[in-house]
This record gives sequence, structure tokens and C-alpha cells, in this order.
Amino acid sequence: MVGADFEALYRAHVGQVYGLCLRLTGQPALAEDCTQDCFIAAWRALSGFEGRSQFSTWLHRIAVNAVLRQRRRRPGDALRMAEELDGDALHVTDGQEPADTIDLERALQRLPSGARDVLVLVGIYGHSHEETGAMLGIATGTSKAQLHRARRLLATQLGMGLETA
Amino acid sequence: MNSETFGNLDEALARLPRELSPARSLWPAIAQAMNEDAAGQRRGPGVAQLPRWPPWPAALAAGLALVSLVAALSWSVLRQQAGTPTLLPGAAAAGAQQTMVSFESPRNAAFLAARAALERTYAQRLALLAPATRARVQSDLEVIRKANADIRDALNHDPASPLLQQLLRSTWQQEIEVYTDVSQATEPMLMRRS
Repeated sequence: MVGADFEALYRAHVGQVYGLCLRLTGQPALAEDCTQDCFIAAWRALSGFEGRSQFSTWLHRIAVNAVLRQRRRRPGDALRMAEELDGDALHVTDGQEPADTIDLERALQRLPSGARDVLVLVGIYGHSHEETGAMLGIATGTSKAQLHRARRLLATQLGMGLETA
Repeated sequence: MNSETFGNLDEALARLPRELSPARSLWPAIAQAMNEDAAGQRRGPGVAQLPRWPPWPAALAAGLALVSLVAALSWSVLRQQAGTPTLLPGAAAAGAQQTMVSFESPRNAAFLAARAALERTYAQRLALLAPATRARVQSDLEVIRKANADIRDALNHDPASPLLQQLLRSTWQQEIEVYTDVSQATEPMLMRRS
């Protein structure tokens, strides 16, 4: 494959890959590293792409691998996020207006990593539970359970659907 | 908390932009890693220098400009239809500072497989577009493919021309961008259906 051809694929997909990495890591610099790792790994593995899945799905799988590798190198980040959530860091807003984008993005970052990963992949990027489970190395049922947990936590954080007196 | 709450939440999530723009250009480091891979495979003195382009008839340059315009129009129309905010503000600037990389092509089949996958998605999603948008996209794609065929013809007469080779690659890139734009523009529609 010619480098310029791959550059075309890069330019067509870098926005989605970076968006995915940023939401999974919550840290722009780390997300940039993961995005670069993803495309370098994709370049090296491209001969193995058989076209059985969408190209974007294949690329997202590589991006998730890059993020998981980073997490293994820096386990404190995932732990810190989980502690923030468990440590009474839930922010409940008043009223029941739909959350705006910024609130939603911030609330996403306060989710435990397991729930956040599934919510990002299924809820924002539209992957199936089967695809998500394969990307994260978890069972399909676990993916469904994590999604339910994530939605419940997120709705609580955003004050959506809270019972009123 | 009930299914309506979760429905509202799902809709809010689906409205979040999927594409975000990194603060810095990530391509140079990727291109460098690719260059190092290629140099390692060759075990030679380094990557071959790109030859200088000779001057070429204005008709071909105009053809390339047309292809670029067509793709830009498709992108714009699709963005309007999807109603998504304009993202990747640095994309145009990044495109202007493209790093030139040249490799021999032992893995062309991989590129073709990736492109075929994008084309399949494009074909599946095309029906989701409004008729006028669909017609516009199909027409633009025809122009790109015609340009590709014309450049291939020209390459038959001058197979070593680096300019023609570059023009040919640019039509591949335009084609991929149209496929990707259609796919991304129709994602919110699929999410709303599911």
C-alpha cells in the first residue's frame, strides 16, 4: 500500500478515532498518543484487514486496544476516576432539563471506566454489544449490564428522571 | 428512572459529535513511523527521494481542481443534511501541510479491501439520504471516477509520470472521502432508528 493511500484513510477517520480515544481516556495528550499508536498499528496490520467488518469498526478495535495498553501502563488513572465517582463526587443538577453537551461530556468522565467504555462504544459510536464485548474483552452480557449501570449513573448525575415530591 | 429517561439520555448521547479534532497534527509522527518501517524492510540506505514533478498540461490541473471542488461540495451538502456541527476545524490546514510519503506497494490488496469495505457501507447507507442529496453525491462520485479513468488512460501513455501517479492517488482519496462522508452523515439516522 502506498503511504498516500493510507494518509487518505487517516484523514477520513482521525476525527472519530481521536474522539473515541479522548472519551475513553479523558486526557487530550493521552488520547493523541493513543490515536497515533492506533494508526501506526493499523498501518502495520492493514494487510490483515479482510473486509469482513466495516473499516471504521476494525479501526475502533485497534484504538480501544491502544487505550487499554495505555491503561495497563498507567493503572492509577482508571483507579482515580473510579475513586472520584465512589467518593461522593456525583454531581446532581437541579431540574429535569436535558443535559447540554458539556454537562454530558463531563458526566461521562466521572463514570467508572468499565461503564464509561461501554457507554461510549455503544451509546455514542453505535457499536453492537457483540462488537463492544469483543473490543473490550468482556462477554456480551457484561457489556449489556455495564451499559445499564452507566445509563443509571449518568441519569443520576444529570438529575434526569429523579422523582420529585 | 424509567425507559423514557433512558430514551432521552440515549438521544442526548447520539447527538454528541463523534469527531473531535486533536490540538496538534498527529500525521507527521505516524508518517515517520511508517517511513522507519519501510526503511527497515528495505535494509537499504534510506527511503527513496520523491522525484520532482515536471510541468504538466493545465487541463490535468484543472481536472484535479474540479475533483477537489466536487468532493468539497459533497461534504458540504452531506453536513447540511446531517445537521451536525462543523467539526475538525483544523482539517483543511492539516491537509495543506500533508507530509509526502512514498513507498513501493507490496500490500495494495489491503488498501483495496479497506476501500471495498467503505464502498459497501456507502452503498448500504446511500438510500438513507434525501433524493436530491443522493443524486448529487452519485453525480459527484461519477465525476471522480471519470477523472480516475482519464488519468489511468494518460498513465498508459506515460506510466512513469509522478504527477499522473499523484493525481491518480488523489482521486482515490476523494472517493474514500465521499464514502466516509456518506457513512458519517447517516450515522445519526441509524442511531435514531435503533
